[in-house]
Amino acid sequence: MADRVAEGGREERPTVISVRGVSKVFTVGKGEAVALQDADLEVKQGDFVSLIGPSGCGKTTLMRLVADLTEPTTGEIDVAGKTPRQAREDREYGYVFQAPVLYEWRSVLANVTLPLEIMGLEKGRRRERARELLRMVGLERFERSYPWQLSGGMQQRVSIARALAFDPKLLLMDEPFGALDEITREAMNLELLRLWQETRKTVVFVTHSIAEAVFLSTHIVVMTARPGRIREVIEVDLPYPRTSETRETPRFFELTTQVREALRGVEHGAAPQAPPAQKTVGY
Amino acid sequence: MRAVVSWLRGSLPVVVVVAVLLALMYPLALLLGMPLARERMGNVSNWVRGTVEALPVADATAGGERLPFGGAPEVDERLSSLERGTAVLVRDGRVVAAGVDLEDGAAVLSAPLEGPAVTLGARLEPLAAPAGSPGLAGRLHALPAGATAGAPLYLDGALLRRGSVAAVERADGVRREFTVPGAGRRDGDLPAVALVAGEAVLEGEGFELDGDTLLLDAPPAFNAPVSLVTGDYEYLDPAAGTLVVRAAVPAGAELRVAGSHVALVEGLVGPVDGENRTFRLQSTPVLETDPARVVYLGDRPLSGAAERPQERVDGARATFTFPSDRGIVTVDGREAVAGVDYERDGAAVTFRTPPPRNAALRQHPDYRVSDPATGTVTLAEAPRPGEALWAASYTFYAHPACGETAFECFLGMPQHPVPFPNWIAERLVPFLTAYPLSDPRNVVRATLYTAAGTLVSLAVGTVIGVLLAVAFVRVKPFEQALLPWVIASQTIPVIALVPVLVAVLGNLGVTVQTSLVPAAIVGAYIAFFPITVGTVTGLRSVDPLALDLMKAYAATPLQSFVKLRFPAAVPHLFTSLKLGAAAALVGALVAEVESNNRLGLGYAIIGQVQAGDVADVWILLGISALLGISLVALVGLLQRLLAPWQRTGLAADQGGR
Repeated sequence: MADRVAEGGREERPTVISVRGVSKVFTVGKGEAVALQDADLEVKQGDFVSLIGPSGCGKTTLMRLVADLTEPTTGEIDVAGKTPRQAREDREYGYVFQAPVLYEWRSVLANVTLPLEIMGLEKGRRRERARELLRMVGLERFERSYPWQLSGGMQQRVSIARALAFDPKLLLMDEPFGALDEITREAMNLELLRLWQETRKTVVFVTHSIAEAVFLSTHIVVMTARPGRIREVIEVDLPYPRTSETRETPRFFELTTQVREALRGVEHGAAPQAPPAQKTVGY
Repeated sequence: MRAVVSWLRGSLPVVVVVAVLLALMYPLALLLGMPLARERMGNVSNWVRGTVEALPVADATAGGERLPFGGAPEVDERLSSLERGTAVLVRDGRVVAAGVDLEDGAAVLSAPLEGPAVTLGARLEPLAAPAGSPGLAGRLHALPAGATAGAPLYLDGALLRRGSVAAVERADGVRREFTVPGAGRRDGDLPAVALVAGEAVLEGEGFELDGDTLLLDAPPAFNAPVSLVTGDYEYLDPAAGTLVVRAAVPAGAELRVAGSHVALVEGLVGPVDGENRTFRLQSTPVLETDPARVVYLGDRPLSGAAERPQERVDGARATFTFPSDRGIVTVDGREAVAGVDYERDGAAVTFRTPPPRNAALRQHPDYRVSDPATGTVTLAEAPRPGEALWAASYTFYAHPACGETAFECFLGMPQHPVPFPNWIAERLVPFLTAYPLSDPRNVVRATLYTAAGTLVSLAVGTVIGVLLAVAFVRVKPFEQALLPWVIASQTIPVIALVPVLVAVLGNLGVTVQTSLVPAAIVGAYIAFFPITVGTVTGLRSVDPLALDLMKAYAATPLQSFVKLRFPAAVPHLFTSLKLGAAAALVGALVAEVESNNRLGLGYAIIGQVQAGDVADVWILLGISALLGISLVALVGLLQRLLAPWQRTGLAADQGGR
């Protein structure tokens, strides 16, 4: 995406996600748990934004808020210029969960056609579309298989293909490769990058892995736990296309170090004790 | 081919388990059956009785110092079992010689016998063979006038021995096959002779013999006696003196009845010293009261009677009067001592202390059997030295009727608690083919009938169960209102419900005895519950993430139900369907039994349990089990067809993800 960076003026690309002062408080028994506090985030079209942070920092909560799978306690969210609910009903995003969440009674192809069925697409066209998506994730030979016959990585690829079924501009991915082994995960990372470049989607990606975040993202949102807050947004200036060699460049190490330190609490740029200012993702 | 091999390999564990269970039935059958067999064997009242009788001398021409008595195997055996020097020779009830020694079946006398051993009487009159049985010519005879049945017969001077063995089975008017123990042991090539309803029948002219089995050409009338002649002859009608001889008597042969003859009898064992009163019969155990027992002291027959007193034993009375003025007095089987326990005044006996109320007070004028097990008899007065004490005849328990060992008795038991699996296997084909397939009593037909009832009930139960489950999950108030009633419905014992149902259906004009309706209703009533529970669980088992996914797709509630909840519930549904199938079968069987429906398996089971061969009961058990397994397997097959994503049957229980 070197060309993107080159052509990119920040004002030219519209904001896809805008999160302003959002908090989410869960009631746990008689007490309350603050999952997310005063989050501000802006994602521009074509960005690949990773949310990274320790467990309980509100990464998933933030994603679910954006997807309207849960509602914010305070604050406002815009998705593609609409309320999250409207965006969900207009099928503006595709969502990939931690687990593949494939319907085991459906074949691989039928799993991918499921969202299209719900959308009401006619049978021939949804099959055509699903096959196209399976080809994209390299699983065209497995369309008749059932989920249990696939490996974890393959299942997650089906899940990604399914998320792309509506051809949404926005892809929300919640630790999609968390359950995979390192080797598969790196292969999947490359695959995802290729997909992202082919389809020019905007991606919000939750991960636990610093290397993964650095390797994939244009921006990394570093979050802290208890309460969940956005600490810092780090821009990743590694050139595209990124390959396995990218992981071995000095810049890659610098960036991973920067993310690691940010996670540990060493601030970059902003003053250490500064209140969380509006953090804008973009150029 | 590969599929067959893999199927065989898959079913191997089942085969092994079934084989092990069947093998375990052997020790179980023995464990439960052997005590019964031992009890049966130990109870002498079940034993075969033997009779000790006077043995006529075997050779009519014998005389002098050596008289032969043996010849037949069983006679030789008895003679050799007699204690030395206890044989007594008698002629017409009078002792000829006592304390005789036996040697190779012959009595050896110290002094030669006076006169011939046997005085032969008149010849027997040959009877004409009945039409159709030419083989009986020369075999049917009648005693001469004046001779009594039981007197020994001699053919050309040689003793003929009487004997026959009755068939085990009773004639029922239909049966033609009879078992005669020992019939297979034949001597020489004489044709066998059977006695059927008092008529002689020759082998080949009315029956065939195969081993111990007698196969008659025509079934004898109900209760007609059937026996096989095993001795040299047997009476057809003792009163008329007609008899059949196994070996045809040649025209010139002398078949005569004995008049006065020497016979060998058993002497009682014990010292005759003028003091001893206790003696022993040699074939034991003996019967305590035996009308056939005749014991002589010298030439005088002794009375073995047990006299009762004229007065009631009321606990206060001490003096009792008996018919005789002598004898052993016993109180409850214990001998009272004269002069100590009581004083005698003729026939009146006065006790020192009155016998307890209702005590058994007896007087044995000459002797009593004091211990039947050892054959011990006690005489009222000790025999004087030189007097011979002998038994002309008595009955004893020879051996257990069921066999020589407890295991034989076990095998022969009419009803076993648990059968051997091979007996079940032997009964399988006869039991299943006892009636043609068109007959409602045919077991295969009954099984199919019950299977049909169960399938109908399962279908009804499934529809009701699934509808209820969907209603419960979709409409909360519905569940709150109905669930307690659904649970309550299952707490009512079906067995109490069926009569009500039968009465209602009867009033509605349903002929419950021949209708599938009761089975269908009861089966469905039982089956719907697990299906409801399973389906509700399934509908609620959905992965929350999968629900989120539906939300992310902006699916309508109906879409979410049809595309997610219901398919996710299918494995649970099938698991509960399997439970339901097993339950429906129980319901159908109970309904059949209680509605008195004789077309189904339920009636067959009840009928067999009440009045059947235990092997048949086990066959029915196996059939019921097989039916249940088949129904469950059918549901499994349905599951494979309708839910092919399931890896195995086991995965069905996991549900969800």
